[in-house]
Amino acid sequence: MMFLFLLMLSAYALGAVGALALGHGTLGRGLAALGAVVGAGAGFTLGVVALVSGQSLSVGVPLVLPLTGFALRLDGLGAFFLVIIGLVGASAALYGFGYSAAYEGRYSLRMMGAMLNVLLLSLSLQVLAENALTFLLTWEMVSLSAYWLVLTEHDQPGTVRAGVWYIAMTHAGFAALVAMFLLLSGGELTTSFAAMRSKSALLAPPARDAVFLLALFGFGSKAGIVPLHVWLPMAHPVAPSHVSALMSGVVIKMGIYGLVRMALDLLGGGPVWWGGVVLAIGAVSALLGVLYALMEHDLKRLLAYHSVENIGIILIGIGAGLVFHSYGLMTLAALGFIGGLYHTINHASFKGLLFLGAGSVLHATHTRNMEEMGGLIKRMPWTALFFLIGSAAISALPPLNGFASEWLVFQSLLGGFNIPVPEVAVLMPVAVGMLALTSGLAAACFVKAFGITFLALPRSPEAEHAHEAPLSMRLGMAILALACVGLGLAPFAVAPMLGGVLNGLGGLPDTRLAFTLNVSLQMPDAFAQMSPTLVASGLLLILTLVPLVMWALRVNRKLRVSDTWGCGRVGQTPRMEYTATAFAEPLRRVFAELYRPSRELTIDFHPESKYFVQSIEYKSDITPLFDRWLYDPFLRLVRFAAGQVRRLQAGSLHLYLVYVTLVLVLLLLAARWF
Amino acid sequence: MNDSLFSQLSTLGSSVVLLFGITLLWRRSLRAYTGAFQWQSAVLAAMFVIIGYFGHDPELYFVAVFFGILKVFILPRYLERMEKRFGGQRESQPYVNVATSLILAGLLVLLAYAITRPLVLVSALPTRGGLPLAMGLIFVGLFVVITRKKALTQIVGFLVMENGIALLAVLGTFGIPLIVELGVFLDVLMGFLVMQVFVYHIHGTFESIDVDQLNELKH
Repeated sequence: MMFLFLLMLSAYALGAVGALALGHGTLGRGLAALGAVVGAGAGFTLGVVALVSGQSLSVGVPLVLPLTGFALRLDGLGAFFLVIIGLVGASAALYGFGYSAAYEGRYSLRMMGAMLNVLLLSLSLQVLAENALTFLLTWEMVSLSAYWLVLTEHDQPGTVRAGVWYIAMTHAGFAALVAMFLLLSGGELTTSFAAMRSKSALLAPPARDAVFLLALFGFGSKAGIVPLHVWLPMAHPVAPSHVSALMSGVVIKMGIYGLVRMALDLLGGGPVWWGGVVLAIGAVSALLGVLYALMEHDLKRLLAYHSVENIGIILIGIGAGLVFHSYGLMTLAALGFIGGLYHTINHASFKGLLFLGAGSVLHATHTRNMEEMGGLIKRMPWTALFFLIGSAAISALPPLNGFASEWLVFQSLLGGFNIPVPEVAVLMPVAVGMLALTSGLAAACFVKAFGITFLALPRSPEAEHAHEAPLSMRLGMAILALACVGLGLAPFAVAPMLGGVLNGLGGLPDTRLAFTLNVSLQMPDAFAQMSPTLVASGLLLILTLVPLVMWALRVNRKLRVSDTWGCGRVGQTPRMEYTATAFAEPLRRVFAELYRPSRELTIDFHPESKYFVQSIEYKSDITPLFDRWLYDPFLRLVRFAAGQVRRLQAGSLHLYLVYVTLVLVLLLLAARWF
Repeated sequence: MNDSLFSQLSTLGSSVVLLFGITLLWRRSLRAYTGAFQWQSAVLAAMFVIIGYFGHDPELYFVAVFFGILKVFILPRYLERMEKRFGGQRESQPYVNVATSLILAGLLVLLAYAITRPLVLVSALPTRGGLPLAMGLIFVGLFVVITRKKALTQIVGFLVMENGIALLAVLGTFGIPLIVELGVFLDVLMGFLVMQVFVYHIHGTFESIDVDQLNELKH
């Protein structure tokens, strides 16, 4: 294990240095990708070895850094996240090799390659951190390297603004985390997590509540919970696509890691309202995330809003776990946490896949606007297949992985009738309802995303001349697509493994044996069982049988090529196709209260007669509620305060000197009389 | 006898040093400033010698020599050179006029007495009479920097303030270690050179060495 750890470190370091030294050209890109792939592979293997063997690895710090104050230790939870980092990291790096070729000569490949390796390295060290200092340091490294990566296409409109929002939100969170650790460790940041774990129970309840709320804010700002989600739809689209995949797949998951580590492991659970708050935030994030995603026609922004949704689903699982934990229903609590963590790796794989797929589309068509796509399935069949797998997974269709984890979350929520307090127990079905609505809307949204992008006729010349992604990009997507299928087919292996990860954290029992290790997945303390493997084989059977039978019955053997839905018109053009806006229109009306859409219809008539129309312009937009009611007033307040303070800054040298002198004299007088 | 002579000499010397500092407030031409600074530094070097003699610290003679070379010869020469280059500019419109400046300087010296009073009361040093004067000189130097507009005047003000600090140090401690003293000299020289560069740049940019032109940089 030590060897793997050192291999991981040195591969990332070499990748970063190599990218900086060689920079542009195939060699530089290759070296950056190689370092990242080898490092991520080693990290992945290290995580798997640690998970399977159940061992923990303590790294002697003098070995890594001759400075004191750093401590690294790999336990089950860290190993699980290391697996996620390795999986998405390797695919994204491989994909990035081909994807960044288009950046040659336009943007700094040196910086991009180096920062990609630094980001992966700091993420890997983050989950190994064993004291607050190491944790905060790596946290900051992750934030800054991701910031550089977001700024790669610095001259595109919106990039710098997105970077500013991202760095502001993440630093607000960072401040909360520093306060949290100072509170928890009594002011000594090098206190090990082990010491905090034993000390946290002795903390006064108000202090524990404060620690929890700070953690929720700090980690939530990274994870993108509503209302701290505003940076995601800005930063994810403007970053290079493999970086978006990493950010959405891995970086925001660090918020989940931190929250589980803090609330469950270090604080050891808390009162019911902790779980309730997490559950409520999760449900609201999930629902609002998907509702805003539905209205998006920018493919990557759509995916970014879905990250908010999925973070919400993860938090529903974790919140349910915390609620059950506070009532001592340990098996159900474990089930909730398992559902949440399972969805974490699932979201990492399918959202990573979808961002990579969106990147391929962007690579081929040079636009993120779905209204200009269409017909890509014929031109980029592989990308279409991978994107379809990702879409099915995120829509929670069996037998893919999204289904497995959402099903587990549902199961844990359905266990809510075990809660002895009716007021709380009745909240669980509400969460079930919101989760169900979310899943349905997500499916609708991906019908739109896939259908408008890949089906029908091309809506623009760019889409017409699209080309398939190069091999390295297809390979990157293939890894994640396989992971989606594999994780979906094998919950009977993943769930007990997660049980092992959670074993002992915050007093959770060993639930490894509660999941029977045969093909079907049986729930402890619940009334359901599920076998994705059987579902899959059934589906496969039907999907092969139906065409076979139809073929045997000689139904419709001829391949016909003709217009769809001709309606007798001559000369159909792609302009007559169903658009993304049109697809989303019914939902826009249903949820008009939330969206508050604005419509603007300009019709330009022919001067001779009103029966002839020269052009029709239709504009519709939705009101960004959080920007308008939360962030704008806040920013106005900050600007006002800054404006007031600015009066001091008159720009006159003499005035500044007067300030200095006055302070000096006042201090001297104060020293004289006090 | 010896002590009382020492005490009287140090108070007298400090007063003369302070007086040269206050000179800056009513003179207008830059050349006069340089002269005042030069004379002040010369008296200060003499103070070093006096304190070295009565305090039995031969190291202070070295300090006096270094101090004299730096502040009586090198810095005034640089100042004169800059002055020539900018063509005899005058401090025509300070922020505070001469009469008010002098009144305020008096108040500042009173303030210095008030602030150093507890120190003077408990001190047994024969030089304690000079301590408030040295503090007053620091304030006066600062006052010059604040109220005068020409960059050159401000440099002289800074150097005067620096002299005040040197005076306070030598009166209060009878000579800090030589190596520290040398470090301070080097510091002053470096600071001066940097300021000189800035003055040239300000002149190059604004065609003037009025520091209030820097306000334009704000927008």
